[in-house]
Amino acid sequence: MTTKYSPPELRPKKLDILVAVVVLVLAVVVAVGFYGPKLGQGEDTSVVISMGGEVVERIPMTSFPDGKKVLTHNGYTLELCLSYNDLPSSEGQLGVYVLSSDCPTQDCVHTGRISRVGQSIVCLPAQIVIHLEGASNDGAPDIVVG
Amino acid sequence: MAMQKWTTKHLTLCAVLTALALALSTLENLFPITLLIPLPGVKLGLANIVTLFALYYLGTGSAFAILIARCILGAVFAGNASALLFSLLGGVVAMVIMALLRRCRPLSVYGVSVAGAAGHNIGQICAAMITLGNTMVLGYLPFLLLVSLFSGALTGFVVALLFRAMEHVNLSRS
Amino acid sequence: MMKKLIPLLLCLLLLTGCAPKAESLDIFAMDTYMSLVAVGDGAFDTLQQSANIVNTLEQAMSRTIETSDVAQLNATGSAELRYDTAVLLEEAMALSAATLGCFDVTIAPLVELWNINGENPVVPPQEEIDALLPLVGSEHIHLDNGSATLDAGCAIDLGGIAKGFASDRIAQLYHERALEGGFVSLGGNVYVHGENTEGTAWHVAIQHPEDSSGYACILSLSDAFVVTSGGYQRYFTAPDGTVYQHILDPFTGAPAASDLLSVSIILPYDADKLHGAMADAYSTALYVMGETAACDFWAAQQSFDMVLVTKDGRIIYTPGLIEHFTPVEESGYDYQVLTA
Repeated sequence: MTTKYSPPELRPKKLDILVAVVVLVLAVVVAVGFYGPKLGQGEDTSVVISMGGEVVERIPMTSFPDGKKVLTHNGYTLELCLSYNDLPSSEGQLGVYVLSSDCPTQDCVHTGRISRVGQSIVCLPAQIVIHLEGASNDGAPDIVVG
Repeated sequence: MAMQKWTTKHLTLCAVLTALALALSTLENLFPITLLIPLPGVKLGLANIVTLFALYYLGTGSAFAILIARCILGAVFAGNASALLFSLLGGVVAMVIMALLRRCRPLSVYGVSVAGAAGHNIGQICAAMITLGNTMVLGYLPFLLLVSLFSGALTGFVVALLFRAMEHVNLSRS
Repeated sequence: MMKKLIPLLLCLLLLTGCAPKAESLDIFAMDTYMSLVAVGDGAFDTLQQSANIVNTLEQAMSRTIETSDVAQLNATGSAELRYDTAVLLEEAMALSAATLGCFDVTIAPLVELWNINGENPVVPPQEEIDALLPLVGSEHIHLDNGSATLDAGCAIDLGGIAKGFASDRIAQLYHERALEGGFVSLGGNVYVHGENTEGTAWHVAIQHPEDSSGYACILSLSDAFVVTSGGYQRYFTAPDGTVYQHILDPFTGAPAASDLLSVSIILPYDADKLHGAMADAYSTALYVMGETAACDFWAAQQSFDMVLVTKDGRIIYTPGLIEHFTPVEESGYDYQVLTA
């Protein structure tokens, strides 16, 4: 038996350019969609973790580990997580929050998710501070009160 | 296609092509694309040469069989189950796109190949999103798509060469 | 690889750029987290001295440090006070009178009863609350030339004003040292000094009470105190699901059932006044008062500025802030300027 096959067009044709253009446009669209609206967020936002007043770690938001990051200090343990925000006033922003803590006050858990430069989560009993720091200060306030 | 009778010759050809695809997959590891994109499992997609060739020469069914065999054997040889998802998703997406575009006559093998390479990378990023459980890896897609323009053109060029050579040797005739 | 290189290059650029050197210090003291920044000659030295101020004040005013003036006074009913304790206690009594008792340091017995920031807070029985209510009121404090006595059973807690007072003392130090800029953030008490590192007024964001990632508004300020009080961060949830926030109403002895989510008081630096302590006390008092009474209180005085965030989604601010105020569009709040 012979396998019938239809050989393809072997020389580049005009429509091939269209395919290349479509791929290029797709690349640009994904790039803009992914990097565009989050400039000043994610890429140059760092999660700064201090324990007892000393900075112990500075992690860019984009390379924050998946799952939980466990912080232990002063006899207490906090579980720090990264996720996207779902509240309308800051939808789609990456943020960190304390998932759980064995501290008595639970203020750190109550604080909720922070995603903007300048915000921080403070756990007084554990003396742990999680602060968001940005490389560019465009529009970011210097201090957050409240 | 399911009703196609698999002659020994056809089967052998499929087996040879699978072996070739596996060899290309291994060869690919010598190009350390992971230096550019730090995602384990992401590949240039040279094995698409085989998929593309098989698609035109043997039809969708056989091409699909070769693809699946290549992915499974590759994962077994590498001893890496997560790599299976990467190569399967990448391979299948590329395959589906190329199978559809193949019927579009105003496109040459280059266009089909570039679209397939792009599909390959999209599939791999999907696999990465599934295994890593986050969407941050989507950020690598634009770079991978740019890479796919070149790897796709290269794949198309190789397949075109192959078919030109085939004009002189007809494998399928007994 | 590029992704790693770009931030690195940016860092190098930033390092070579010659912004004035800012020193910063983070400390845990006075039951809160403090963050201080100073820019200018002698910045580091100023910060160290600021830390000394905080520690000295804590030693004098903590309710839990046994040797403090406050602990002595609470335990024995009388004490010789250190200079700053006496100054602050007198100020506290004046502020209690000014706020018609909505802020009062004699709330301490009820704070202890509720123990909202403690290990296992529970809702105390009403009889116990009622039994302690008569002990609340600044008329129970007798201050005479640095020595104080309390009526039987009474106790004081300077926690609602000591951080504001600490910011006053640090603000004075920043001025004495003629620092170019800096700020002090002592758990909801902020003082901003001079200019920020970009040479403009400091941008102080007020936290969005309902979205931990958002801001309610941004204020551009220089040489000013901003103190925010709200019940949205320190609270506990009873087994029946009721949420009890930490600010107590001196009249009911229970957590204030305010129609406000947060109150921010803004006052300029004044070398002769304790505006930090005043802003601290006012923010608590106006939270307890609720929207209507707080607006009336402001209208009667007009000696300070404020930003109120109401439970029904409005942000009310005073006309003095108009030039300093930037709303946050996506906050979802309606912004209203208060008129006298």
